[in-house]
Amino acid sequence: MTDDILKVSDLKAYYQMNYYGNNFEVRAVDGIDMSVRRGEVYGIAGESSSGKSSFVKVLAAAIRPPLRLVSGSVRYDFAGHPIDLATADARDIEAIRWKHLSYIMQGSMSVLNPVRRIGRTFEDFASRPLNLRGRAFRDRIVAHLERLKLPAEVLQAYPHELSGGMRQRVTIGLATVCHPEFILADEPTTALDVVVQKEVLKLLRDIQKEMGAAVIFVTHDMSVHANVADRVGIIYAGNLVEEGPTREMFSAPKHPYTAHLVASLPRIGDTAQRPALDGRPPNLAKPPPGCRFHPRCPLAVERCRREAPPLETVSPDHRTACWRWSEVAPLVDHGMRQEVVR
Amino acid sequence: MTDYIWFLAKRAALLVAVIFFGVSAAFFITHLSPIDPVETALGRISSQASFSPQAIAEMRQTLTELYGTDAPVLSQYGNFWRRLLVGDLGPSLIAFPTPAMTLVMQAMPWTVALLVISTLITFVLGNLLGGLAGYNQNNALFKSLGMLAISLQPIPYYVVAFILLILFGFVWPVLPISGGYAMTVTPGLNLPFVLSVLNHAILPALSLVLVGFGSWFLGMRALVSNIVTEDYVTYAELAGVRKSTIVGSYVMRNALIPQITGLAMTLGTVFSGTVITEEVFNYPGLGSLLIDAVFEGDYALVLAVSSISVVAVAGAIFVVDLLYPLLDPRIRSE
Repeated sequence: MTDDILKVSDLKAYYQMNYYGNNFEVRAVDGIDMSVRRGEVYGIAGESSSGKSSFVKVLAAAIRPPLRLVSGSVRYDFAGHPIDLATADARDIEAIRWKHLSYIMQGSMSVLNPVRRIGRTFEDFASRPLNLRGRAFRDRIVAHLERLKLPAEVLQAYPHELSGGMRQRVTIGLATVCHPEFILADEPTTALDVVVQKEVLKLLRDIQKEMGAAVIFVTHDMSVHANVADRVGIIYAGNLVEEGPTREMFSAPKHPYTAHLVASLPRIGDTAQRPALDGRPPNLAKPPPGCRFHPRCPLAVERCRREAPPLETVSPDHRTACWRWSEVAPLVDHGMRQEVVR
Repeated sequence: MTDYIWFLAKRAALLVAVIFFGVSAAFFITHLSPIDPVETALGRISSQASFSPQAIAEMRQTLTELYGTDAPVLSQYGNFWRRLLVGDLGPSLIAFPTPAMTLVMQAMPWTVALLVISTLITFVLGNLLGGLAGYNQNNALFKSLGMLAISLQPIPYYVVAFILLILFGFVWPVLPISGGYAMTVTPGLNLPFVLSVLNHAILPALSLVLVGFGSWFLGMRALVSNIVTEDYVTYAELAGVRKSTIVGSYVMRNALIPQITGLAMTLGTVFSGTVITEEVFNYPGLGSLLIDAVFEGDYALVLAVSSISVVAVAGAIFVVDLLYPLLDPRIRSE
């Protein structure tokens, strides 16, 4: 497909550590293949320690030891500036930062310098990529803040003087003011309460549509994905196990893990206890053989223990990595199916 | 604004209290000392000629009346405050009747200049290099600088002073090892005098800088290596913010806040630290004056020097306290 803005092929990134002469290797990202289209919101879901944050770090070119890119490629097709993060040098990567690729970080409380006024932070972040200074720059920022329903006075404020929701809107403002083509949002609303979260999500969605930027939106909260994502990809133990259009992922998941994630969502009027998945996520330093989900999978058979299933296309745009995907349907919660399909 | 005035008033009240208790402590400690200034003076006089026991007894009485040491300690204490409030610290006992204040004022510029300059150099150098070392942790140059700081830091300052004295006074005799200026120049605002003063200050200042550098360097390096992992630093790096801005305004700026507290606290120890440094280099400052006064049992002079240092240290901490809200906006709004 030619309208892909990001294409990730066979990406492997491991944490490689050496303690007292013993080498440890944690395979946080182990062979991910995926792509994101222009103007699309791609949701990434997965539980803690599934490797989703490491994956985003690789996408953001924020790899620091002990995390290392082992193989594969991360190709962005920015207008007039195509780049492969796996082979690009530091200067090329600096050139795309913020202008083409921006990032909304987890934890709005700590991502702003506590001793710097918001206005100075905007200058630090955006003055160079926008190539504006002084009056013109200020006007541009104020106009942008207005879109985020923030008064111009926040530029004079220090981070501690703002509420959590305002601070999160400021970070969204920082990430979007240069009109990047691609935004990586890592749990941008996790620290906020539900009401503020809804506002911020709507704002992010609106501004994304207006600018036509592609977004990778990472959160473990499936209900957020249902609201914002066009497509959702599920990461389990460093692998992409299923991806598909959001609606289909909720109504007809083709991987038992996705089916469980969807079934665990609380719903209005239903007081039954949500089923929990037995067991723990696998140790990525020593992943289980075969399909990595088999120790917790209700459908696991002998083949799953021996052979890792490939990611195969089961319907247009929908891929899953499960030997028994055609048998997943009975696991799906039918109440959810109706609600989402409605 | 009224908040700031209230803050100012509280800090000023604290300053007055600290000075009162500090000076009182200095008063009682000197008066509890077993050295009696009258006996010391008699010893000094009678070693030069022989006197009849009666003459000695008369002299003892005269001196006791003169120094006022026969009065109860509490009434001496009251008198001491009464005179102090009008700026009179009484006559020095060893250089009687020169006022103690005059001796202090002669010695003070030497110590203050030495201290302020060496403390500033140490603070700036230690924090700048320590900050850069914390940010560039894998740089070989900063790594070896760190080793140097670690090995210098635990050496007592008087040992460093003696080592410098031996190195630059005897092994490679290029610097004057004693005094504040050469005998051949006339004190005043003339070039030979100023150059001579600077030349004589190099070794004492160097001994203070070398010792102080290590702890600033190591402290700043540790602070910075924590701050570089803060989200706001990572975020600025991901945004491609200029390296110099990140190091200066994001990393060092945040690390500086605890370091300023450290500066206020070391000002106190630096003051007492120079006592031995000055003695080693025979530097004409307050430290040397204080040591002479202690050995001669010169209450008035000991009290004058220690009162001045109490006021100076408390005042310096007060000023640093006032600077705080300028450094950390989070304090301003409290």
